[in-house]
Amino acid sequence: MINTALSSFGAQVVLATSSDENHPPENILDGKTETFWLSTGMFPQEFIIRFPDNMKVSLISVHSFNVKHLRIEKNTLEEADKFQVMAEKEFEQTENSLQTNDISVDGSHATHLRFLIISGYDHFVSVHKVSVEA
Amino acid sequence: MVKLRARCILVGDAAVGKSALSQMFRSDGAHFQKNYSMTAGVELLVKPVNIPETSDSVELYIYDSAGRETFAEACEKMWGQPSVVCVVFDISSLASFNSCSRWLQRVRAHCNGLQVPGVLVGNKSDLSSRREVEETTAQDWAQSQGLQYHETSAKEMENCDAPFLSLAQAFYTLYQERRQMIQTLG
Ligand SMILES: Nc1nc2c(ncn2[C@@H]2O[C@H](COP(=O)(O)OP(=O)(O)OP(=O)(O)O)[C@@H](O)[C@H]2O)c(=O)[nH]1
Ligand SMILES: [Mg+2]
Repeated sequence: MINTALSSFGAQVVLATSSDENHPPENILDGKTETFWLSTGMFPQEFIIRFPDNMKVSLISVHSFNVKHLRIEKNTLEEADKFQVMAEKEFEQTENSLQTNDISVDGSHATHLRFLIISGYDHFVSVHKVSVEA
Repeated sequence: MVKLRARCILVGDAAVGKSALSQMFRSDGAHFQKNYSMTAGVELLVKPVNIPETSDSVELYIYDSAGRETFAEACEKMWGQPSVVCVVFDISSLASFNSCSRWLQRVRAHCNGLQVPGVLVGNKSDLSSRREVEETTAQDWAQSQGLQYHETSAKEMENCDAPFLSLAQAFYTLYQERRQMIQTLG
């Protein structure tokens, strides 16, 4: 389902630290890279995606701009209040195109994915699309 | 509607009036501390600023830092990544003006090469009879560093909002520029 909008599977963004009503966090899950969520200043920044059920995750693909250091955490239905680090990555800077990063993870199940943007290459960073492969 | 957040690093020599200025701004002129009470570390003040003619705002997180050299290192550890910078001197003290370039360098060392809007503030404009720094001198140096220059008097409640409003506005402009740029990428 790497090319499908996560929102059509009932996934939702349940928390985001920034909001510009022209660039809401739902834009991350609509499957389009034209629309984006834009952070509105200071780090860290985070958003949390909730799946309707436990979901198997083996690859996470992120389209973004000016994100530097990203950490991804997950939890499961069984242990809802405990987030575990799944992956941590330093993205390369791009000039005139989006950053595209595929992050392989262990294929375990998750109900929430938490994306923690620890630093950026600019004051403001954007996330255009997150997709997940089972 | 958008609410931005900016980390504003406030620096300058001891006793130039950084705390007085930021407290006047935060309290809308209700609070001027006449007796000097040295800042030993960093004091955080938060205030939202509305951007004129929009429904948007910038929330300023002001890091009022100690001017005393003994605290400098501890202060720097708390700055994180600055969004905007405010360097203050006392117009009746040439020494405090001469320190500004060192203060600015210190903050810029934490900016990771990012463009960080800044202002230079000549405070204590009420002490004009003892003025040691001419307005044009300060203005010229500010311009050479890409800073906006403002003169204030925390004591007389003169112009205290101006430096912070101009920082908020500059950060807001930067946001709009970036937003437009990113819009062309997707
Ligand atoms: N005349 C006059 N005095 C001022 C003004 N602003 C501040 N002061 C006085 O200057 C002294 C120092 O002010 P502070 O605001 O504590 O200075 P500071 O820059 O925060 O000093 P540190 O915390 O040690 O770095 C106090 O006695 C204030 O009352 C002003 O605009 N005019
Ligand atoms: Mg102080």
